[in-house]
Amino acid sequence: MAVKTITGDQAVAYGAMLARAEVVPGFPITPQTVIIEQISEFINDGLMDADFIPAESEHSVMSVAVGASAGGVRTFTATSSQGLALMYEMLFAAAPTRLPVVMAVANRSLGAASGIWTEHNDSVPVRESGWLQVYVEDNQEALDMIIQAFRIAEDRRVMLPIMVCLDGFILSHVVEGVDIPEQAVVDRFLPRFAPVNVLDPRDPIMMNPVTPPEFATELRYQQDRAVEAARTVIGEADEEFAALTGRRYGGLFEAYRLEDAEFALIGLGTWAGIAREVVDQLRAEGKKAGLIKLRYMRPFPGQELRQATLNLKALGTFDRSAAFNGYGPVFTEVRNALYGSGITVTDHLAGIGGRDITAEMVRDMYGLVERSARGEKVRDCTWHALRGEME
Amino acid sequence: MYEIRFHGRGGQGAVMAAQTLADAAVRIGFQAQAFPYFGAERRGAPVEAYARIDTAKIRTKSQVYRPHLVVIMDASLLELEGPASGLRPDGKVVMNVAQRPEELDLGAGVDAECGTVDASSIALETLKMPVVNTAMLGAVAKVWNVVPLDAILEAIEDRFGGKLGRRAGMLNAEAARRAYEATVVGRTQGKREYVQPKRWLPVWDEIPIGVSLRKTAHVEEEVGPATTYQHHTGRWKWSTPLYKKDKCIRCLRCWWSCPDAAIVRQDDDYMRWDLEYCKGCGICADICPVEAIDMLQGARGTWQ
Ligand code: SF4
Ligand code: SF4
Repeated sequence: MAVKTITGDQAVAYGAMLARAEVVPGFPITPQTVIIEQISEFINDGLMDADFIPAESEHSVMSVAVGASAGGVRTFTATSSQGLALMYEMLFAAAPTRLPVVMAVANRSLGAASGIWTEHNDSVPVRESGWLQVYVEDNQEALDMIIQAFRIAEDRRVMLPIMVCLDGFILSHVVEGVDIPEQAVVDRFLPRFAPVNVLDPRDPIMMNPVTPPEFATELRYQQDRAVEAARTVIGEADEEFAALTGRRYGGLFEAYRLEDAEFALIGLGTWAGIAREVVDQLRAEGKKAGLIKLRYMRPFPGQELRQATLNLKALGTFDRSAAFNGYGPVFTEVRNALYGSGITVTDHLAGIGGRDITAEMVRDMYGLVERSARGEKVRDCTWHALRGEME
Repeated sequence: MYEIRFHGRGGQGAVMAAQTLADAAVRIGFQAQAFPYFGAERRGAPVEAYARIDTAKIRTKSQVYRPHLVVIMDASLLELEGPASGLRPDGKVVMNVAQRPEELDLGAGVDAECGTVDASSIALETLKMPVVNTAMLGAVAKVWNVVPLDAILEAIEDRFGGKLGRRAGMLNAEAARRAYEATVVGRTQGKREYVQPKRWLPVWDEIPIGVSLRKTAHVEEEVGPATTYQHHTGRWKWSTPLYKKDKCIRCLRCWWSCPDAAIVRQDDDYMRWDLEYCKGCGICADICPVEAIDMLQGARGTWQ
C-alpha cells in the first residue's frame, strides 16, 4: 500500500485505473478535466490498458460510453455541470439499456449565472434518469467509490449506470493523502466485467428497440426493481470492501453520533466533514447533536432513514442546490421518507454557486434544528448567509 | 356521444380524415375531438385514428373500443385484424372496396349497415394519388347522417385548402362529392372467425434485461417490440416495386435506402426484392437514378 498526496480528481483517475476501465471517452470541462487528463497520462505511460476516446461534445461522450458498454467492455467517463446537461438525452439511453457505465461528476453549478464553483444543481436534477448516484466526502472515498461503483453497477441484480459525485474544487482540486490500494486487492474485489448483453455481429441482438406502450410499463418496473436491488448490493459491496481494505463507508448513508441524538442534520458531499466538526463541538457543549451523511440519492434510503431517525425530535436537511418551489431537493426526498413519523424536518440551503460553507454557518443550521427540536417554530426552509431578510 | 374509428395505412390520411370529420362536426355546433394512434413506422403501417362527437364537452382521451362508426380505408386490413371489432349493435361501417356490402365479410358477429365505395379509384382519378381520406369522408356522409355532406365539404376545403393550396382543397372536396354519389349502401353480415395474432405480452420479469432481443427470442408468430423478424411488413403494402434489371446500373442506391432492408444485394450487385418485408413505400423507386424500379398498385408476390 502506498499513500500518495493527490487531488480528488486524481484519486478518481486512480480508481478508474485500478478498476481496469477499458474505454474512457472524454471531453474537458472544469473542474473535471484533471480526471481525464490524468487517465490519458496513465494510458500514455503504459500504466493503464484502455482506449481514451476524445469526443466532440459530452453528448457524444455519453453516446460513446453507451456504445462501448454495449460492446461488453468496462466503461468510465467523467463530466461536470453543462457537460452533464449536454449528456442528458444519452443518460436516459444508458439506464434502460442496463449498461453499467461509471461516471464521475465533479459537481459544479449549472447554467446562468455561469460559475465554475461547486453546487449540486447539475447532478441532483438527473436523479430520475435511472442512474444510481453516490456523493463522496473526501479523496479517499472518491477513489474507493469508483472501484465500488463498478462492482455495484455490474452486479447481475443491478446492471445500471452510476454517477460518483464529488464537490468541484473543494474536493476535485484539494490534495490529501490517499491510500492507493494494491491492484491485487482491487482485482479480488472487482472481477472482470461479465456483461449480460453484448453487441456482437456474429450473434446479433437488438438492444432497446422502439418499445410500444404495451411493453413500457413492464420495462420501467424492471428498472425500478433493479434500483431496489441496488440497496442490498451496495451494503454487500461496502462490507466486502471493508474486509479487504479496512475502510467502511456505511452503505446508503453514514450515521455519525446519531444513537442518542435528539436533533441532527442530513446532507450530501464535503459538507459532511464540516458538520462532523460542528457535531463534536456541540457534543462537547453537552448538546445531543448528530449527523447523517447521505451518500446515495439513488437508491434513496427512505426506509433505512425512517429506522435510523426513530429517536430524533428534529432533523434538518442541508441542500446545496435550490428547487424553486420553496424547498431543496434533499428536503423533498427526506421529508417524503419521514412522512408521518412525527419528526420536524426543516431545510437549510447553503453553499450555492460555490459560496464557502463555514463552521459558523453549519452551527446556525444546528441552532435552528435544535430550536425546532424543542418545539419552537422555525422556518421550513432557511437560506443561510443570504443578504437581506427572507420573506 | 358518437365514437368513430378510422382504420388506414400510413400515407392514406386516416389522421387527417378524423380531424376533418371533427372539424365538420364543430362547424355545425357539436363538440368534437380527433386523435391518432400509430407506431414509429412510416408509410404502409396500419394506423388508427379516432373521433368523438357530442353535444356536451368531451372529457375522455382514451382510444375508441366501442365505435358507432368504423371507417376502413384499405381492404387489405381485413386480412390482418378485425377492424370492425367492438362495433355497437346499431353501428355502421364504411369501407373502401369495389364490392357491394352484401359481398363483404367483416368477421363473425358483424351485422351492420354498410356503405362501400371504390375510393382508391376515385382518389387516383381526382387527385392522381392513392390518398383516399377525403373520398372516404364523402362516403361517411352518405351512410351516417350525423354530419351532413355540406359541413364535410366545407371542412375539407378549409383544412386541405389551407394546407395544400386552394386547388387541392377543391379537388379533395370533389373526391368527397364523387364518393358520396358512388357509395352503395346495404347490409353486411360477417362469418369469418378472426384468429387473433398471438402477441408476446410478457410480465415484467420475463422481458430480457434492457429489452435485448435475439432473433430467436420468441416463438414463431409471436410479436415482440419492433421485431420485424416476425412483423411481416410486406403485408402492409398496397403497391409493389417492379425491378427492371436490364435498366439497372448497379449503383446500390436502392439497396442502402430501403428502410426495411428488403432489397437483397446479389453477388453480381444486381438486386432482389424480399416482398415478404417490402412494405411498398416507394423510396427505392424514387431514389433510383435510371428509373429501373416502377411502383405497381397492389401487393403481389413474395420474391422477385
Ligand atoms: S423495397 Fe422499396 S418499396 Fe419496398 S420497402 Fe424497400 S424502399 Fe420501400
Ligand atoms: S437504384 Fe436503380 S440503378 Fe441503382 S441499383 Fe437500385 S435499381 Fe439499380
